[in-house]
Amino acid sequence: MSKLYLILLLLFALFLASCKPAGGESDSSVDQYSKYDNTKPVDGDWLIYNLGEEPGTLNPITATDAYQSIVNDGNVYETLVKRDDRTLEIIPLLAESWKISDDKLVYTFFIRKGIKWHDGVPFTARDVVFSYNKIMDPNVDAPHLRSYYKDIKKVEALNDYTVRFTYARPYFLALEFCGGMPIVPEHIFKNGDFNTNPAGRAPVGTGPYRFLRWDTGREIVLERNENYWGKKPHIKRIVFKLISDPTVALQVLKREEIDFTGLTAIQWARQTSSQRFKKNFNKFSYFTPNYSFIGWNMRRPFFSDRRVRTAMTYLVNRKLILEKLLYNLGDVVTNPFYVNSPEYDHSIETYPYDPERAKKLLDEAGWIDHDGDGIRDKDGIKFEFEFLIPSGSVTGEQISTILKEELKKVGIRMNIRKIEWAVFVKQLDERKFDAVTLGWSMGVESDPYQIWHSSQAEKGSNFVGFKNKEADRLIEEARTEFNREKRIELYRKFSEIVHEEQPYTFLFCRESTVALHKRFKGVNVYPLGPDHLEWFVPLPLQKYGQVTMSP
Amino acid sequence: MRTYILKRLLLLIPTLIGITLITFFVVQLAPGNPVSRKLQVGEGIKAEAITQDIVEQTKKLYGLDKPIYVRYWIWVKQIATLNFGRSYTDHRPVIQKIEERLPVTLALNIISIFLVYTISIPLGVYSAVKQGDIQDRVITFFLFVLYSIPSFWLAVILIYFLGGGEFWDVFPIYGILSPGAENFPFYKKALDFLWHITLPVICLTYGDLAYLSRYQRGSLLEVLHEDFLRTARAKGLPESKVIFKHALRNALIPIVTIIASILPAAIGGSVIIESIFSIPGIGKLGFEAVLSRDYPVIMAIATISAFLTLAGILISDLAYVLVDPRISFEGRK
Repeated sequence: MSKLYLILLLLFALFLASCKPAGGESDSSVDQYSKYDNTKPVDGDWLIYNLGEEPGTLNPITATDAYQSIVNDGNVYETLVKRDDRTLEIIPLLAESWKISDDKLVYTFFIRKGIKWHDGVPFTARDVVFSYNKIMDPNVDAPHLRSYYKDIKKVEALNDYTVRFTYARPYFLALEFCGGMPIVPEHIFKNGDFNTNPAGRAPVGTGPYRFLRWDTGREIVLERNENYWGKKPHIKRIVFKLISDPTVALQVLKREEIDFTGLTAIQWARQTSSQRFKKNFNKFSYFTPNYSFIGWNMRRPFFSDRRVRTAMTYLVNRKLILEKLLYNLGDVVTNPFYVNSPEYDHSIETYPYDPERAKKLLDEAGWIDHDGDGIRDKDGIKFEFEFLIPSGSVTGEQISTILKEELKKVGIRMNIRKIEWAVFVKQLDERKFDAVTLGWSMGVESDPYQIWHSSQAEKGSNFVGFKNKEADRLIEEARTEFNREKRIELYRKFSEIVHEEQPYTFLFCRESTVALHKRFKGVNVYPLGPDHLEWFVPLPLQKYGQVTMSP
Repeated sequence: MRTYILKRLLLLIPTLIGITLITFFVVQLAPGNPVSRKLQVGEGIKAEAITQDIVEQTKKLYGLDKPIYVRYWIWVKQIATLNFGRSYTDHRPVIQKIEERLPVTLALNIISIFLVYTISIPLGVYSAVKQGDIQDRVITFFLFVLYSIPSFWLAVILIYFLGGGEFWDVFPIYGILSPGAENFPFYKKALDFLWHITLPVICLTYGDLAYLSRYQRGSLLEVLHEDFLRTARAKGLPESKVIFKHALRNALIPIVTIIASILPAAIGGSVIIESIFSIPGIGKLGFEAVLSRDYPVIMAIATISAFLTLAGILISDLAYVLVDPRISFEGRK
């Protein structure tokens, strides 16, 4: 991981270097921002951040969308522990330390003293217990969270500053799960119905920013928590704008009305390279834990054969797709772990694009055009299948069109079927598909159990129906292996099996791409992206907040 | 007349029940469920998705484990007290979510409908009177061009050329108010709002405008060949009086039919325009609700639209009496 991280930093440095204008240009405003590069951090100014879509709610327990976590996580609400930006190791946050029993069943967190909720009420271990009880309450709309905590036997507050989680069985992700549990204030949520509590639209947390206001459809505003228990951030206010159309968002960015927005691949490659843009903005890219793939339903006669699945992978020209359609914003992956984590096996070579080898494999597997109609067949079954993509998935559409042509050349008919998301998920649940393209988004460290264990083939997320005894054993063993090095070894073996079996044709880990106004300094691009809590704006460059600053 | 209106009003009830019954069943029996949207992350899906468990628990929480006819009955009982229930996405009362978005949508649509009528009727009349002349042909040409331009395309073009950035900076391109507009005096706030909705209103207006003025032209042309107009001319009435007093009044009858669709159109939002210009309106709310299978929100919007459509039809029927003396409800006995 550190190697990749280095490369990323290098790339970033290169990018910064390339941002400097060519020699002849004497635009003084270029230096307007860069001459303050080495100034000391000062407080002040606002960050206008384009969130894109509106979160459903800001209640961290009932919310399911990513927008909620951008607003809340680390800004308003905090958890017992978090991952370090740089190393991705788990470090203390609300808990100053923790103890894990020798049998790995009891997790005791020692909470920092003196932490207060934004309304001044002290934060205690009872809030943690309350939050756990609410998550597990069937009347609370949080079934998506319950699966993380179903192995917990009990959670108890030993005193105001000590909380203990007791597990029924050991699990290597237990620390991340219980330490990362969303925590809400008991005194605000204890009365009335949890789901409809007004704090869902006006959150009260312990974090460095406190909630100011939410104008539906317009903006959500946070302001710095002047009584924050930890190191206060420099930016005084964060305004989340809700511009959903990427074209409009980029134009508003160019007008300098917002400071930060995500970029689409084509915007990154083509529409943000002018001198004028580079004068005011920096662009960053980074890999978040995600990967896309084509899943072959192994219950189908064609895809039950490993050779056929491998042949399919040989037919997907991933390098070309990445280069031409995704503007090289990503990496071709070969196994299901986060590319920036040590679990990811970089030594596995991807199957190259090779139609000849694909044909040979198909012939070997017995899929030959017996009746001369141009389509391969075997035992009277034609090699014709349906490729399912969720509508709105641009990548899915592009990949499927290319693949369809490629398959036609080798005598396989593929029909593309595009369906709406809710129906798409239903088809997956009922295993009614031949092949499908999709992406998984996961944690920094992830457990392959849910997607790859044979027990999940009927009702879980293993919808391709991958069943391998050795893989099952490795997954199970890794779940209770607390030594990361040893676990990585198990995962390497598991990755090899997956590579050999090709239940998925692994596609890409996509890069996230963002643009940020140049007046912000102290910006580092970490594996999971930049962290605005450390940014600042040098005094002469500050743009907002001087007038309305409270006396 | 009074008995007729009463009859029509009573007839509204079974019609409304029929509409909601069909909508309810179609919406709830459509594949997919409220949970699926919660598993979506961008173009992907959350890896920890234990779908089956989550689906079952959520169904129970939302009362979807009951048989569908029971659910409809519960819904009808709720609606009878004008309670539209709570949204699945944020558990807020549906009516509150609609109230929040209604003013913007109403303002946009009323301005747009007003513009459509005030421009297209005179334009249609002019073009009918000048039938076959160069003016008529130019107008026809431009109206057909307007009619065939997709609104999302025009929206992007307008944003690109009039929204700052590389070209003219004339109009704001997102939202409905400038930052800090909360503190403006009323008239300034109103101006700021109008300035913000100019581009979206253009995009909402031009298509209907093209359509309606063609419609007006056609219906006036039909009347212009009638005998009574020849009579009017023969008795020496000035041409303006012939057209505006005798012809236009008859040519307006088909236009009145369209009034029926104005009421529901006033609250129906445009998903595309609202999304492009980041306007928090009804269209986006409804669209999002359909995608996430937020049944209470879908049903509320559908019911309100159905009611307004029925009311619109009733109003336009009554309006016939006003514009056309040949029609009378009493005479039907």
